Amino acid sequence: MTEPMPPGGSTSGKEGGALTQEQPGVSAASTTLPLRHSLRAAAIDPKLHDITEKFTEACNALKIGQLVKDEYFTLFESIGALEIMDTKMDSGFLQPGETLDEVYDTLAPLLPEEVIGIMDQLLCYEMAWHTGYPLSQTLLTSVYIDKLLWPEPRSVEQAQFYRGYVSEERRPGLLLRVLRAYCLALVKCVDSGIAVITNRDFFEEEDICTHTYNRVLFPQVGADVFVGELEDVIQNVQECAEEYITDDLKKAMLVRLEFRKNFLAALDLECPLDQLNKHWPLMQSNLVAINVTHQLGKPVEGSFSTKIQRRLASTVPPRPIVVLEFKDAFEKLKQLCADCEEATRFTSLPQNPLEYQSFMWAFASRSPPPLTYSRSYLSNLLFHPSSDLSILLQSDLGSLVFPASVVLDPSNWALSPPQNPNLPKDKRFQLAQLINDFTERAGHAYLEFWTALGQNRCRLRRMLCHAILGFDQVQNDAYTIDEGIMALTQEMGSAPENEIMPYPLTTWSYYRKLWMMEKVVFLGFEQDIYLPDEFAAQYHFLSTIASTRSRLLTNVSTHINAKYRRLFAAEGQTLRVATLVETANYVDSLLAESIGVHELSTALAKFWMVVLYLGLLGGKKLARPFSSPELRYELRMKPFWTLQPAEVPPFEEFRRDVWSYGPYDKLTPRFLEDLQNPQAELWMELDEAVKRAKEAWAQVKRFGAKSARAEGVEESWKREIQGVLASCVALGVAVAGIKGQAPKDLGEIRVEIPKVGSGKRYREGWVVGKVCRG
Amino acid sequence: MSDQTAQPATDELHYVQYEVEKEDVYLPAIRQLISKDLSEPYSIYVYRYFLYQWGDLCYMALDSSNNLIGVVVCKLETHRSGTFRGYIAMLAVQESHRGKGIATKLVCMAIDAMTARDADEVVLETEVTNTASLKLYERLGFLRSKRLHRYYLNGNTAFRLVLYLKPGTATKRPPEVGDFGQYAQYGDAEEELRSREGIQAQTRIT
Ligand SMILES: CC(C)(COP(=O)(O)OP(=O)(O)OC[C@H]1O[C@@H](n2cnc3c(N)ncnc32)[C@H](O)[C@@H]1OP(=O)(O)O)[C@@H](O)C(=O)NCCC(=O)NCCS
Repeated sequence: MTEPMPPGGSTSGKEGGALTQEQPGVSAASTTLPLRHSLRAAAIDPKLHDITEKFTEACNALKIGQLVKDEYFTLFESIGALEIMDTKMDSGFLQPGETLDEVYDTLAPLLPEEVIGIMDQLLCYEMAWHTGYPLSQTLLTSVYIDKLLWPEPRSVEQAQFYRGYVSEERRPGLLLRVLRAYCLALVKCVDSGIAVITNRDFFEEEDICTHTYNRVLFPQVGADVFVGELEDVIQNVQECAEEYITDDLKKAMLVRLEFRKNFLAALDLECPLDQLNKHWPLMQSNLVAINVTHQLGKPVEGSFSTKIQRRLASTVPPRPIVVLEFKDAFEKLKQLCADCEEATRFTSLPQNPLEYQSFMWAFASRSPPPLTYSRSYLSNLLFHPSSDLSILLQSDLGSLVFPASVVLDPSNWALSPPQNPNLPKDKRFQLAQLINDFTERAGHAYLEFWTALGQNRCRLRRMLCHAILGFDQVQNDAYTIDEGIMALTQEMGSAPENEIMPYPLTTWSYYRKLWMMEKVVFLGFEQDIYLPDEFAAQYHFLSTIASTRSRLLTNVSTHINAKYRRLFAAEGQTLRVATLVETANYVDSLLAESIGVHELSTALAKFWMVVLYLGLLGGKKLARPFSSPELRYELRMKPFWTLQPAEVPPFEEFRRDVWSYGPYDKLTPRFLEDLQNPQAELWMELDEAVKRAKEAWAQVKRFGAKSARAEGVEESWKREIQGVLASCVALGVAVAGIKGQAPKDLGEIRVEIPKVGSGKRYREGWVVGKVCRG
Repeated sequence: MSDQTAQPATDELHYVQYEVEKEDVYLPAIRQLISKDLSEPYSIYVYRYFLYQWGDLCYMALDSSNNLIGVVVCKLETHRSGTFRGYIAMLAVQESHRGKGIATKLVCMAIDAMTARDADEVVLETEVTNTASLKLYERLGFLRSKRLHRYYLNGNTAFRLVLYLKPGTATKRPPEVGDFGQYAQYGDAEEELRSREGIQAQTRIT
């Protein structure tokens, strides 16, 4: 690197210039560069050697392009490297005649319409930030905000559009004070936003940029201070005479200030749970008024500048300001408010983890997908300090495998070990210990599962893949704990509440694992991960997982029914009977749903198999010279490859099931015969599967949202079931379009795949082809 | 293998391997060609990072006057998942020469070279809307393994594409599991060629 450092260049290099020679006496504290601290005290006189000549000489021994690096220098770091004197990389590089700083006067008087214009511009940048752009290219390009935040004010009072002394006639008038209060509240809104988003690990850097570039956004100052500032100017504006601000401008200004006040209160992390649902609805009316008065404002372009970025703690040269049109920003804002308002309903859900799960899932499925802030907001409610994950987990266990059971009886936890360690421990005490043990072992995977539900959809799928491995381990660990529980309950006698199903914890972990596996496949379809010639295979795989889940649920159901009969016959068990009935409804609903998934995916697997044999999708066949079906199978099944018990069938078995008539590109006589014979097993089975799928989903619908533990999101639950039923119908129609036809009659038939997000799929995960002619 | 699938594109083109000794001849042209399709330029160190260490996995299509028409840049090393993983970092063909199989040929040469060096798998990312690139790789046998939300600096979403070259790749594990615990969190993290901005923001925060 022989290029000289440019004057004023803030490019400091990764090591913060740890080798600067000139200032030996200057201590690390006097510079803002991240200097490495020396291990030894610096008391000894430093000896300076000029190595320039040696260095230059040594460099000559290198070839051009030769890389000098240790083995720890990664691609990641090479991407972080900069080129001095390159306009796109060197933040200190100025074009000829370009000035380093902005020359905008933040004390120059503004017109009321300009204040409104700037407020709306700021709103656009705020929403651009919410959609993922860095503050450096959005809000921090405002000269007004820059003035408020830099040099760093020691108090809110000091955060002005000027520093130090200004003459009387230059002091900001009402309009500038309005703008200041608005800007300060806006800055606090961003701060509160960041606090919610970074509160736990809900967000990923791909979602939103929480970097504040060394600007301090008043994290220590409570929101009420900024509300106070707003209230002051609101009053001033209200009292202001008509000759200074006309009525409509006044109204427009006031509604923006009101909105900011409400927004600030809504975003406040300290807001008590029972107050949460107060603020968001208030904003709805503000929003309408802001939208209709937007055209009154007059933007002030000069009050935003890319140059400020040079003074932010970033090594990247100024990058263009992000433009988000008001119309789009407004839509985002509306969405944010609606999503957060919806999220507040979480606090009034029936207290049950399965209700929570339905809610989280429905929330993540909202369209358009909720912004990062809204997702974090909901996750913060889920992981509120008042909620306890182990209680959630135990309630989860109770809902499926320990209904009305002694195992989870709260009084078990009230017992203590015997004083004398030689005496036997109380059995109930031992049960509590076993459950605690399990809770501890399952805790991590369980937490990951809930965290996943709050992520963006792409990450949700990847995180579920990981959680599945976690639950695989949990299931494995559960086995011995189960044996302990089974032995204890057996010793406790034959009262109905002592009766438990065989291997309850194993069953529960396995159930959870299978559920997540199904979701991973679903999300694969939803995210366009599978190529069309994988459709049959993936639906086939889905059908096998769902049928395993059905079997598991059947065991649970058998146990519950037996227990129900015994409890019902016994005296004084009304409460337990009621709990059991509730669980039975839930399990019946789940069972119907798992059958629905199994049958519909079986039908789809067969449908796509026929379509693929007939080549009805058009397009060229993929030659795939570097791959083989076996290798692709291994790659596709990788997330599930190691699970125990084995979920991935051996390739030969898979081949037999999915390519029952040989490879896709060879039509065997057997296939052609079956194709044209509506009575062939192929078609009979397909029709049967569609029919059974319809029945199963209709049954799920009849059981209702309450049984499915989706009472809190009944509307979207109903829509979902309706969508699946519509998919069944559409599949029946598609099958009828192909069944029994001779290949020559199929000549003009094409099958279209409804595109993801086109609104042409009844459910994104259920891909039903559309049969078209011509 | 690749020669059967990629028909010779244009007669006067010839395909050559990169040579580190000729950096001054090749690198400026490579940078120029690649930069055209990037919102943010890579610094020269990114190119050197690849070309100095894996120059033999970089192939170029040159016309009869030795102008650069297309290029593919790769790396191949042991990934923390335990596989010997090839990565296609950059691929571009001059706009006027697209649609003639040049990129296909270049990618085939790179995969052949990686296969010869015993790679387990080849991976890359591409924008979900880059139809040409998706078609090209999927025709060669790649599958989409995951979707990466807002992977690029411009906010666009990517697919991770993967090609297994050897059986047993799915179950490979790193030799010393302990050291990788922290990274192994989500299987293979999505680190590769992300934006400079994102990376710098990260290095600053830590
Ligand atoms: C991607 C790129 C390298 C392809 O180069 P190329 O030499 O045209 O590629 P090929 O001719 O070998 O193959 C491209 C395939 O995509 C198809 N294709 C090209 N443009 C397409 C488009 N807009 N829509 C659909 N298909 C398209 C071609 O028809 C061809 O498929 P076919 O052989 O089945 O017909 C080139 O478009 C490019 O440089 N793009 C910009 C950089 C880039 O996107 N790089 C990839 C990032 S990983």
